[in-house]
Parts: sequence; C-alpha cells; structure tokens
Amino acid sequence: MILLTMLARVSDGLPLAASIQENEQYERDLQQYQTQAKQLFRRLNAQSPDRCTLEAGNLNFHYLIAEGVCYLCLCEPSFPKKVAFGYLDDLHSEFFDQYGRRVSTVTRPYAFIEFDNYIQKAKKMYVDGRARRNLGNINTELQDVQRIMVANIEEVLHRGEALSVLDTKASNLSSLAKKYQSDAKYLNTRSTYAKFAAVAVVLLTLIIYVRFWWL
Amino acid sequence: MSAPGYSSVGSSVNGSTQSYPSMYQPAGYYGAPPPQSYPGKTPLSSSQPPHYHNSHISPQSHHGAPSTPPSTAPPPQAYAPPPSVQYSQQVLQPQHSPYGAPGSYYEHQSYSAPPPVHHPPAPQQYPLTPSPANAAGTYPSAPGGTQYGPPAHPQSSLGGGLPVQMSAPLHQYSPAQPPCGQTALNGQPQSTASSQQSSYESYSRVDGSGHTPSSTGTPSASIVPSPGHHSAPQSQYGGYEGTSGPSEPEQSPSSSDDEDLEDDDEEAGGDTSSSSTGTASPVHNSFDSLEGGNYPETQTPCSELTPHGQPYTGYGFPGMPPPSSAPQHGYNHSGYPQPSQSFPSLSQLSAALGGLSGIPELEVEALQPINLLQERNLLPPRPLGAPEPNLSQELKKVNCSPETFRCTLTSIPQTQALLNKARLPLGLLLHPFRDLQHLPVITSNTIVRCRSCRTYINPFVTFLDQRRWKCNLCYRINDVPDEFMYNPVTRAYGEPHRRPEVQNSTVEFIASSDYMLRPPQPAVYLFVLDVSHNAVEAGYLKYFCDCLLENLHSLPGDARTRVGFLTFDSTIHFYNLQDGLSQPQMLVVSDIDDVFIPSHDNLMVSLKESKELVKELLSSLPSMFAHTRETRSALGPALQAAFKLMTPTGGRVSVFHTQLPTLGPGLLQSREDPNQRSSTKVVQHLGPATDFYKKLALDCSGQQIGVDLFLLSSQYSDLSSLACMSKYSAGSVYYYPSFHHIHNPSQLEKFQGDLERYLTRKIGFEAVMRIRCTKGLSIHTFHGNFFVRSTDLLSLANVNPDSALAVQMSIEDSLADSSLACFQAALLYTSSKGKRRIRVHTLCLPVVTQLSEVYAGADVQAVTCLLANMAIDRSVSSGLLDARDALVNAVVDLVGAYRSSVSNLQQSGLVLPSSMRLFPLYILALLKQKALRTGTSTRLDERVFAMCQFKTEPLPQLLRMLHPDLYRLDTISDQGALHLNDTIVPQPLLLHLSAERLSRDGAFLLDCGSVLYLWVGRSCSDMFLRDVLGVSDHASLPPSMNHIPELDTPLSERVRAFLDWLQENRSSSCPLHIIRDDALAKTTFFQHLVEDSSESGLSYYDFLQQVLQQVSK
Repeated sequence: MILLTMLARVSDGLPLAASIQENEQYERDLQQYQTQAKQLFRRLNAQSPDRCTLEAGNLNFHYLIAEGVCYLCLCEPSFPKKVAFGYLDDLHSEFFDQYGRRVSTVTRPYAFIEFDNYIQKAKKMYVDGRARRNLGNINTELQDVQRIMVANIEEVLHRGEALSVLDTKASNLSSLAKKYQSDAKYLNTRSTYAKFAAVAVVLLTLIIYVRFWWL
Repeated sequence: MSAPGYSSVGSSVNGSTQSYPSMYQPAGYYGAPPPQSYPGKTPLSSSQPPHYHNSHISPQSHHGAPSTPPSTAPPPQAYAPPPSVQYSQQVLQPQHSPYGAPGSYYEHQSYSAPPPVHHPPAPQQYPLTPSPANAAGTYPSAPGGTQYGPPAHPQSSLGGGLPVQMSAPLHQYSPAQPPCGQTALNGQPQSTASSQQSSYESYSRVDGSGHTPSSTGTPSASIVPSPGHHSAPQSQYGGYEGTSGPSEPEQSPSSSDDEDLEDDDEEAGGDTSSSSTGTASPVHNSFDSLEGGNYPETQTPCSELTPHGQPYTGYGFPGMPPPSSAPQHGYNHSGYPQPSQSFPSLSQLSAALGGLSGIPELEVEALQPINLLQERNLLPPRPLGAPEPNLSQELKKVNCSPETFRCTLTSIPQTQALLNKARLPLGLLLHPFRDLQHLPVITSNTIVRCRSCRTYINPFVTFLDQRRWKCNLCYRINDVPDEFMYNPVTRAYGEPHRRPEVQNSTVEFIASSDYMLRPPQPAVYLFVLDVSHNAVEAGYLKYFCDCLLENLHSLPGDARTRVGFLTFDSTIHFYNLQDGLSQPQMLVVSDIDDVFIPSHDNLMVSLKESKELVKELLSSLPSMFAHTRETRSALGPALQAAFKLMTPTGGRVSVFHTQLPTLGPGLLQSREDPNQRSSTKVVQHLGPATDFYKKLALDCSGQQIGVDLFLLSSQYSDLSSLACMSKYSAGSVYYYPSFHHIHNPSQLEKFQGDLERYLTRKIGFEAVMRIRCTKGLSIHTFHGNFFVRSTDLLSLANVNPDSALAVQMSIEDSLADSSLACFQAALLYTSSKGKRRIRVHTLCLPVVTQLSEVYAGADVQAVTCLLANMAIDRSVSSGLLDARDALVNAVVDLVGAYRSSVSNLQQSGLVLPSSMRLFPLYILALLKQKALRTGTSTRLDERVFAMCQFKTEPLPQLLRMLHPDLYRLDTISDQGALHLNDTIVPQPLLLHLSAERLSRDGAFLLDCGSVLYLWVGRSCSDMFLRDVLGVSDHASLPPSMNHIPELDTPLSERVRAFLDWLQENRSSSCPLHIIRDDALAKTTFFQHLVEDSSESGLSYYDFLQQVLQQVSK
C-alpha cells in the first residue's frame, strides 16, 4: 500500500507535487509523516544517496533522487521494496518527460500539482496485486534492491543536529581551552614575579646583613 | 463641575503637567462617577467596588475563587473623594497629590515604594514601547498589572501576544484607562448581567483552571481573575462556553482538526507547527478553550446576558448601558469630556499625522442637524455611497475600498465610553473574496509579518528607517528582511516603502509551503440531487442538467478537478463514472439508516478524463426519473453519504432539494401552522428543529467540505433547520419558493441565472480567515456563514465571491496611543487551480475624541446592516417582537443621545445629524422587511430565507433589498448621464418609496437587488408604451412580461442602457418584471413602498411621531 507520494526539488526542498492521501485509517498519522517528509526534503542535498529506504515507525519511506528531483513515497513495511522503487522510477520517467525542464524555474510550492493525476493512476497500478505481477517482469532488470541503504528517519533527521551539537561542544571546548591558556599564562607570570621578588628580598637582606655585620 | 477645573489645571501647570492628565483620570474615574452612578440606582452594580478592591489586594486569590465576597470592603468615601477636593490638592502639590487620592484607596502599599520621581517620566515613555526592564524600574513593587489594574487585564490577554511587552505601556497609562471608567460606567449593563454571569462563571472558572497550566505565558491567568468586573467580551465568551459547550459534544474532534490548520496559518515562522503556535500567538491559545462554541448564528451574547433588562439594554450594542439618566449623567458631566481635552500631546500627534487638524468641510456637512419631521426630501439624487473617512490624502488614496471593507463608524471613538455615548454600534462589514478588477499578486519567499501579532505588512505601517518598520496594530518594531529591500516593480534596491505590499491595501500573496498542512486540494464538486416525485414534478432537474452541461468547461478548476453525482429519493443512488465504461453505472444503496459508500474509487472522477460519461449522465438523468412514484425523501442519509464521499479531499457539495425530508436521520416535521401566521405576538420556529444538520455541517467544516443548498419547494420545507447545513460549513443558501418550471417562469429564470453564476464563479477551498485590529479594539461577535474557531479566526470550507460577513467590535482599551485605528482581514485559501494564496485587506480609520466627530463619520448604511444582523440574532434567540423593539429603540436612543449631547439647538422635533438622516427610514424599512415584519403574509420559509440573506449578502445588495431604489423611467433623459466606455448610461433621480411619488401617467422602476419591477401606470404615455415596451396601449400589455424588446428608439436605448447598467456586476441574477397597473402582481410592487403604511407597519411619518414620543418620554 502506498500511502503518500511527494515530489520535491532537492536543491531547496521545495515541494513540487504530491498525491492526496485517501486512507481514513492513516488520516491522522499522515499529518506527522508529511512533516517528516518536509523536513527530510530540507535535509537532502546533492551528496545524499540516490536511493534510500528510511524506517519511520511502522511505515517506510522510500526515496529516489534523479535529475535534481526527489521522489518519495510512504509505504507499509510489507509492501515490496522492489515494487516501490519501480513505482518511483516510473514517476521519475513520466515527470521528467512532462515537467523536467521547468523544475529549476518554479518558485511557488506544488507548482506541478496536476501531476497528481498521473501519480494516482500509477499508484493504482502498482498497488493492485494482479497488475503488479505483470509489472514484475519489467522490473526484474532493476538493480538489486538489497543493496539500497536502509536507515532510520529519526537518525537522518537528527544527524545534522548531532553534528551541530558536537560542533558547539567543540567550539565551547576550544574557547575554554583558550581561556585556560590565558589564565595559565597569567598565573605563570605571577609566579615568576613572586620568585623574583623572593630572590630580591633575600639578596637585599644579604646585602644589609653583610653591610652592617661585616663592616 | 469638575471638568472645566481639570482642563484648566492641565493647561495652566504646563511642562511637567504632561504627566498629569493620565494621572487625573483615576481620580476622575474612581472619584467622580461612582458617587453619581452607584447610589441606589442599581443595586447590582454596587458589587463592583468590592470586586475591585478584592482583586487589588489579592490578585492571586482570584484564580481559585473569582466570586469571593470582599472581606474588607472599603468605605465608599475612602475611594471616592470628591473630585474638587482632589483638584485643590493638586494645585498645591502637583507631584504627589494625584497619587494621594487613589493611594488612600490602594492603601499606599503599592505606591509608597516607588519614589515619586519616577512617575512624571512615565507618560512620556509610553509612545516609545518601553522595555520590560523599564516598567519594572518604574514600579518596582507593583506586581505586574494587577496592582493598578484589573481593568487593564482583559487586554493583556486579548490584545497583544506578549504580556511582558505590553505590561509596560499598560502600566504607564493604566491610570488613564477608560476601562476603569468603563467598568464604572458600563457597570450597569454588565452587572445586570452579573446574575447570569454567576452561572457562567462556573464555566469560565473550570476553564481557567483547566488551562492555566497548559498555556505558556501569563495571559490566561489574567483572564481568569475578574470575571466580575471585566468588560463584555469576556463574559460573553464565558457565556458561549456555558451555553454551547454542552449542546455541542461532538465538536471536539473537528476542533482538534481545526487546530492544525490554524497552525497552518501561523506556521510561517517555523516548521514544526506545535512550537510555532506557542510562540507566535499565545493569545488565541489561551482563548481557544474559552471560545469553544462561539457560534455567531445562534447567540446574541448581549441579549442572552440581559434578558430582563429594558429593551435597550439587551439590544445588542456591545456593552452599551441603558440610557437611564444616572450613568448618562455620570459621564456627561464628569467622566467624559476630560480625556479628550487632557491629551494635548496626543492631539499634537494627530495633527502631525495630518487630516485631523480642524474640522473639514465634509464633516460640517455631515454634521448639519436635520429636523426629519420637516425635511421631506431626504434621499440623495443617486444611491448613497460610503462616507469617506477623514484621513489625509495619501492615506485615503491607499485605503481599502469600501466595497470590501466597511466600518459602521468611519471615525473610531477613542474610548468605549465615547462609543456608548454615541449609541451607535461599532462593527465591520466585510466582503473579503469579492471579484476584483485589479489585484496585486505578490510572490516572495518571505511574507513580511509582524513578529508579535503576525500582522501582514501593509500601507499603514511606519518605516522608522531602512531596516525597521513599526507594526500599526501592536506597535512592535520589526526588522525589514533583506529580500524586502528589493523592489520587484521598480527593480530598485533599498526602497522597502515602495513595495507593492506597502502601496496597496488589498494584496494577494502566494503562500509558501509553510502555509499548507497538506498539498493543496483539487477542486472537487459533488452534486446531490433530489429525484423524488415532487422534484420531478417541479421540473428543475432538466434545467439543472442543461445548465451544468453548458458550463461544464467553465467550472473553476484545473486538470485535477473532480466531479461526482448522487441522487436520492427514498434510496440513494451513486454513479460510477469510471473512465473506460461505456455508460454510467448506477449503484443504489437502500440502507438509509447506515449509509455506506458502495465503491471507493470511481464515484468521484476526474472531469478531464470522464467528461464524456459525465455528459452522458447529465443528458440522461432527467428522463431516468421521469416516471418515479417515490414521494419520500431521504435527505439526511444522502448528506451523510456525500460527507463520506468527500472526506478524503474536501470540496463543495451542492444540494438540490424540493421538500421536507421525510426519511432516515435528519427527518423533519412540518412546523408551520398557517393559522398562526396572523398572530402578531410570536413567530415561532425560527430556530432549527434538530441539530442533525448543524452537526453534519460542523463535521463537513472539519473536513473542508462546504455545503450549498438550493431549496426549490412549493410547500413548507423547514428552511430554518436545513439552512444549518450551509451556515456552519460556509456555504450559501438559495431559495425558490413555489418553483415550477411551467407555472412559475420568473422563478425558473432566476434559478437559471443564479445557477449559472454559481457554477462559474470563483471559489476558494480550505480557507481560514483572521481579522486583526489595532490594539485596544476587540471583536466579539461574527455574523455570516462560517465556523468561528477562535476569537479572531474563522474557518471557511469554501469561500465564494458573493458572500459577505459582519463583525461586531468593542473598544477594550483606550485608543489614545495612536490617531489611527487599523483593521486587517487575511484570508488564506486554496484557489481552484491548486494555489495557496493569502488575500489581505487593510482598512485604516481615524480615531476621534469628540462625539460630534463620531457622528460626522457615521456610515448609516453600514450601521443599518449591522443592526439588521444583530436584530436577526436577536429574533432567533428571544423573539421577533423583542428584536423589533430593539430596532425602534436604536432610533430612539440615537435621537435622544444626539439631542442631549451634540445639538444645542433647542428646536423641537426629531433632529439627527445629516450623516444619519436616513437612519429612521432604513430602520422602518427593516421593520417592514420579510425577515422582521409581522402580519399574515409572510411564510416562515421566506422569512428564514430573508434572514439568511441578511447574514451573507454584501452591503449594497442588502441595502437594495431593504430599501429599493425607485426611478421614474418614462421621463428618462441624458441629463447627468454617466459615460462609460462607449455607452451613455442615463441617471434618473432617486425617488422616495411612497405611493405619492408615483403617478398614473408614468412608468417606474423599482430595483430590489435581486429583482427589478417596472410598474407601468394606467395612463402611461403612449410614446413610452410604443417606443420602449413595443405595445400599442396599456391594455395590450401582456400580464407577465419579463423582457424589454430591443427597439431602435432613443428612449428604448436609454432605458435598456440603464437597465443593463443596473444588472451588471450583480452576483445574483436580477430578472425584470413588467407590471401592469391593474395586474395582481401590483401588490408585490406596492409592498416595497416602505414609507407608506401597510399591514405590517406604520407610515414613515407615523413612525417618526412614535419615535419622538418615546424620546420625549
């Protein structure tokens, strides 16, 4: 079952098209998954892996990045990965045909919302078990889905965060170290002065002693 | 007495005295009015001072027990020293004495601590939005606003999002605050209510304790403490909660859904909705639970709170005290004039802002007193427009069009007390989604909004410098984002004040994805059609199908547009229109008690893909049911099915219905007894018989489904119950009484015209609208079709360009901060093309301090329309007669108030300022309107429909319904004609609606908004008959003639040009009826002549006499 499909531009995470959810059962949760998807789009960049499966609670996100557009769908875990990626590939070829050139020019969100019509149709085809069997033949030549990376959505979303936490910690550390260094310097000078002073006093007493006792 | 004394001191001790005015006030308010207004007059209001005292001493204790009786009530003398005494102290000790008097009341504990030195600078600070630290410095020992001010604190929760910030300015001027006066002065109506309130209090208390912990800041705490003496809105919300909470148990699911979209609106700042709501708007957070079921339709807060008051008390004015002599005295002599004179610095400010210095000519004209008993020609030669607000030229130029945004008072009174004194309601009439010719659309990544109140940037903000702007609603200073520095129109950098947002008061933004909770929904239309025997007999189906077939391509939408059909009699029929089928497939569900959807996929189909099937269905539908014998109608189950079909997407449901629903849930009984119609005492059954439709509508609203109702029936169909389905789901209602395709061609024509407009007009989906106003003003009642989600947030499943709404407001807090008051309505919607857009309208009006200025700026049409809305609420809640009395009293009050305050002419008779000269006439017309008239001739459904119209029609339309325009057509000439493009539109003079203005030898046109009547006199000139109507003589005029033949004569051309001009740009179709003098239809024409006496009312002159009698009583 494909619950949610979203397309976004990778460079800035701008949503381009989406399919409306039609499942009463998940109506409520989908809201949350949508926000997760939106966050994910913001995190993605050119360095992200092309194909990836993200586990999010009971459901899985599958995404595919091609030609600067990220195709993302939300499926039940039981839904075969192979079919999911086949579906995303299908979306990609159709979308690229229809709108590929205009992707970089649009500024408003969901500029290609009309693509929804195609998404709906494709979804129906891939979800339907009987039709899927026929598709299976086509999809056999798809690359080995086993090699597609699996990660957890929370990790992906929070990876950046952890790094930034680490970063702030490190910078804290370095500033503390600097402070320590300057403090140490100051202490050093102070102790040096103290030593000099002690020596001077000893010498002075010695001189006085020599002067008044010896002479 | 004290008033002149004050002002003279204020002016003589200059320089440092700047601070005094604000300090005098407490003396004025605490001191002067109470001794006058309290003694004896109103036993209830005597509970006020203790309340005050109580809250001062132990502000905390209020949380637990708002109504604790005072343990140590101060002797009245202690807190009300005679003002004169105080004034003399003042002269001797200018520094300390102002505090001396209140100090005795406040028991010094709060005032002794801060050194007096701190006080003088205080008032000087307040224009500069002082920082919290500043405030703390000024009154170190005063714990927040509570010390001074229970009065201050409804605002801190209502007005601004940031209690911390606000506390500073409030502090400074809270001594001067009218709310103190307001509570003292308004004491009466509110405390009359207090008996009621005590019962509501329990609700509000529960509420308060329930959500104090949940809310993030202090605002909720300040709501709770003093229900006893807060101003009206507070108690009203309590009231709403109390009354509608229990009756609305199923509301919670929908409202929790609502919550999300609201975030949606507020989301702009951050991504995660929950956190951003918290920071962006703590205000409505805290109000959400309070306002729970604020259904404007069913409740008139004021009237509920004061059912046992005199007619005028209960009359819906916001917190308007009864015009009993005592309070009037109270503020006439001691309370009021002073503030106006005692703000020298502010008048300077306003002078600096321009447009307010001196009294312009316009005002003089508007203020000219007119004796209505002598003046017989009141009507202007052309239909009246909106009065222009008294603003500087630049502001006028950018201000919002009055057709979109209109305020009843174009000069906003500075305080509630002044408003009360004017005896005019304060409110807005909005037509937010109007079809516009010119609308700047702005696409930018960041939509610039105030960080604290989320106001959109508008032409009335001030730019402090290049990088900062000051919000005109909450006065917060915000940064100008970098993107905003670039002006896309002129392509120049560094001109933020030239951006289109700042140049136009009506703009539309393309919203970013932050404003979307889900991808924009497609345009989805579902048609629910009645196909029972009755419907087939009436014959609407054929015309509907034809009309839809014709307009199928012009339904607003894009490639995603989806349509569906559903028909019902005693069973429900679905139609499978799956692309690829050879013909539509009908699926019948006969289990109407538990409706289910037979197939999930193919019932709502893409119009683009299944167009052929849809066309086939439409052409076969009429014949399919031609021979049906099923007379029963299962409307309720059909609506449930429609709801289930639409739930996933939302959209528009159009219901066509012809009789009383008789089967399944939502069935109705006939409630109208024709014999009862004649009883002038009570008109019953104005409210719904069952809450089934309301519940359904609320569910629909939650799923973004709007339900529009077309009722085409010949018998009683209980519109008052059925209309609920549209009322709460932001739909519209159309009613065609005694519709029949053969016997009633005029209704058929109207139906066709309306339907065409309905199918092709613009539509917005999943909309929310928020109305914000300048700090100090607050909105308390909404009128219109929508669901009110929080104090200022309306949720509209659908918006259409033909419906308007009205809003009642009150002044919570003196508007002394600024000389301008602003209102902003922001409508966030999804267009039929799947674009999320925000349409923002901003209106700016001057604030005035003089009563005469308030009258000069009164907009009589807007006042009438707002009053009509209030009267309709009133008639549903407490009866028609009550509402009628309230309307008459509105006139009586105004005349009385004007006589006692502004006009110093000692002339007898009925004197009103020129700006309001039409008021009695309009009210009389209102009393004779279908919605509010008495007598036998009004059928219940027609009455209810008229009420629905009043709630949703835009103002010009409403006014024509109320007081039609009468023109004489046979003498029409090109004199003073309008030249539009290449046509010349003659402009005949407007005539009074009285039979004496008619004559047998003329032809008169009556423009009633939704219909035009042309009455042809018996001895009308042959030339007119021949040249315009194309008949030889009067007798040969056909009895029902609906068109003017296109004749090639100059007279005919003129008449047609004029008629076309009138019919242009009207939302509803406007058929013409030509009425022969001897025809039966004559009565429908003559019933619109409201100045003559009729079965349901007095003539205009008698009405004036009646008013005069009541005034002098």
